Amino acid sequence: MAGVELRNLRKSFGKVEVLKGLDLKVEDGEFVALVGPSGCGKSTLLRILAGLEEETAGDVLIGGEVVNDLSPRERNIAMVFQSYALYPHMTVAENMGFNLKISSKPKAEIKARVQETAEILDLVHLLDRKPSQLSGGQRQRVAMGRALVRNPDVFLFDEPLSNLDAKLRVQMREEIKRLHHKVRTTKIYVTHDQIEAMTLADRVVILDRGIIQQVGTPTELYRNPANAFVAGFIGSPAMNFLPGMLQSDSDTARIELEDGSVLTAPRKPNHPRDGKVLLGLRPEHIMLGEGTGTSNALTGRIDLIEPTGAQNHLRIKLGGQSTTVVDNNLTEVELGQNVAVHVDPDKIHIFEAGNTA
Amino acid sequence: MSITGSQIDGVAVATAPAARKRRLSKSLKKRLIPWLFISPFIILFLTFTLFPMLFSVYLSVHEWNPVAGLSSMEYVGLANYQLTLTDPWLWQSLYNTVWLAVVSGVPQHLLAIPVAYLLVTGLRGGLRHFYTAFMFIPYITSTVAVSLIFFSIYSANSGILNQMLLGLSDMPVFSWFFSWVPDVMPIRWLTSSDLLKPSIAMVVIWKYTGFNIVVYSAGFLTVSRDLYDAARVDGCNRWQQFWHVALPMIRPFVFFAVTLTIIGNLQLFEEPFVLTQAQSGGVAQAGLTASYYLYLVGWQWLEMGSAAAISWILFLFIAIATSVHFYFNGRKGLGEDR
Repeated sequence: MAGVELRNLRKSFGKVEVLKGLDLKVEDGEFVALVGPSGCGKSTLLRILAGLEEETAGDVLIGGEVVNDLSPRERNIAMVFQSYALYPHMTVAENMGFNLKISSKPKAEIKARVQETAEILDLVHLLDRKPSQLSGGQRQRVAMGRALVRNPDVFLFDEPLSNLDAKLRVQMREEIKRLHHKVRTTKIYVTHDQIEAMTLADRVVILDRGIIQQVGTPTELYRNPANAFVAGFIGSPAMNFLPGMLQSDSDTARIELEDGSVLTAPRKPNHPRDGKVLLGLRPEHIMLGEGTGTSNALTGRIDLIEPTGAQNHLRIKLGGQSTTVVDNNLTEVELGQNVAVHVDPDKIHIFEAGNTA
Repeated sequence: MSITGSQIDGVAVATAPAARKRRLSKSLKKRLIPWLFISPFIILFLTFTLFPMLFSVYLSVHEWNPVAGLSSMEYVGLANYQLTLTDPWLWQSLYNTVWLAVVSGVPQHLLAIPVAYLLVTGLRGGLRHFYTAFMFIPYITSTVAVSLIFFSIYSANSGILNQMLLGLSDMPVFSWFFSWVPDVMPIRWLTSSDLLKPSIAMVVIWKYTGFNIVVYSAGFLTVSRDLYDAARVDGCNRWQQFWHVALPMIRPFVFFAVTLTIIGNLQLFEEPFVLTQAQSGGVAQAGLTASYYLYLVGWQWLEMGSAAAISWILFLFIAIATSVHFYFNGRKGLGEDR
């Protein structure tokens, strides 16, 4: 096992700079998810870690050693690909044992290790099958088995669940989590699905346009997003952003929305300077009803009702903006109805006006 | 005015056969039109494929000199087959055919596969297309023209090949390897029974390797980039990626190309014909292939019956060779093992 470190890592394709000086430290045995929208550079970063792509500048360290000039083979990493990349002409057992065969391990050892890994992943009955005879979930498990069998220092996952249907994805997510508890090897997991990242990882790295926006535990990212991009990216349904004017004193931040309504929140050190700002309200933090005296009350018209079973998603016009509100109480409301809502001052986020996810 | 029942009946009786006739001609038309559309192919197929094939079966049990007209045709039963099978030239031609098929066939693939792999993995789009097209040129050049050019290259006294060998024997570094050349000059590439077949094989290799490069390039392009990446992560070097991943992945393409080579090489005619100047297969019939022999019997000796019998023997020979290839390589070759 080994930790992974990036030092001022840069990558350009021609004139396009895809990674713009990344610094990151992944501890030994940690599960880190790299998450970001398409084209943010997360897969490129993973390929650089694997040695499949060469960095333009900076260093990659595995186990404290710079591995920039080492081949994928010498880095002792294993990778699970989005397409699984199983060899179609080989059986499951041959696929899993291939890297051991290439490393000239004795046949008996290969057989034993493949068997052992197959037992962990419940693949024993599939060992003689070809990949074409397997379902999506089984192929995914074989791809993980192939990575697991070689006992690598670092596991790299490149959107491994994106080809599976929703139900199977949840199942496999659980399996990966269980696997991490069993085999505590350092894992770096690339995904564009924030739910996957939040549920699996010890820490999540949010990437956008080749820059790390924030690194933190899932809870930290949810509660204290560093900027509007992170705030909009983490959480489902996504955070609402309402433009407003900030006026603050030492204790209180006062935000006037476009329709003239005013919200107040306790002043925090990370708040931007007075002026134009973006107010961030999570849909689950906007409550129906007038609330108590301390909470911020607003009123708006219901434009859309989306029942999801356990909760209703409402679109309510607040502060001049169409806003999503999650109602866990399944309150009886009607389209076009004017309703009162309130927001806890502590749950209000204030960002500089600018980029959102 | 009212219309009585009998009047209606009368009209109905009078119009029923006409309507039925109209319906019939309409449905006939509907059935005939598709046939009309495919009739050009059917007519060509019957005239130029099925009829000649059946006629050759008929011919093979007759003795016939085409110059003497159709009336001279005489039924001889299986005598043409018996006579042909006892003709030493048939066996000589079959031996030459197999020799040329193997010696000119195997190197085509041994060259084309690595070249195609290097083209696909080593070069980007435009440059790869240029080189592939360049290597395809021999295939689309007229065989007769190619053979004529090689005839002059192979010429014992003035051919560029012998001149080049002589030149190399004089050069400082190469002279060590080619010092034997002046002693054996002039090398008679086309008039020595030992060298004729290798000379023909060289032309065939030169002409058809480009075609196989195109087939294999298409094959290697179907291998997903992810598989190469997975192989690299699994620890494969370039050679291991080729041997363990790329080559097994293009098996269907190898199978296809080898099948074409077997069928094509067993029918070699133009190259040996031009290179031996149509002189009955060259010195000691060393360049006489089965198709060449078939041509001699039919068009020079005008024994159409025997020629037809030889063509069926050759057909059987090719069918057996292809079946053996299918039997041993078919399942893997057609990708049924995946």
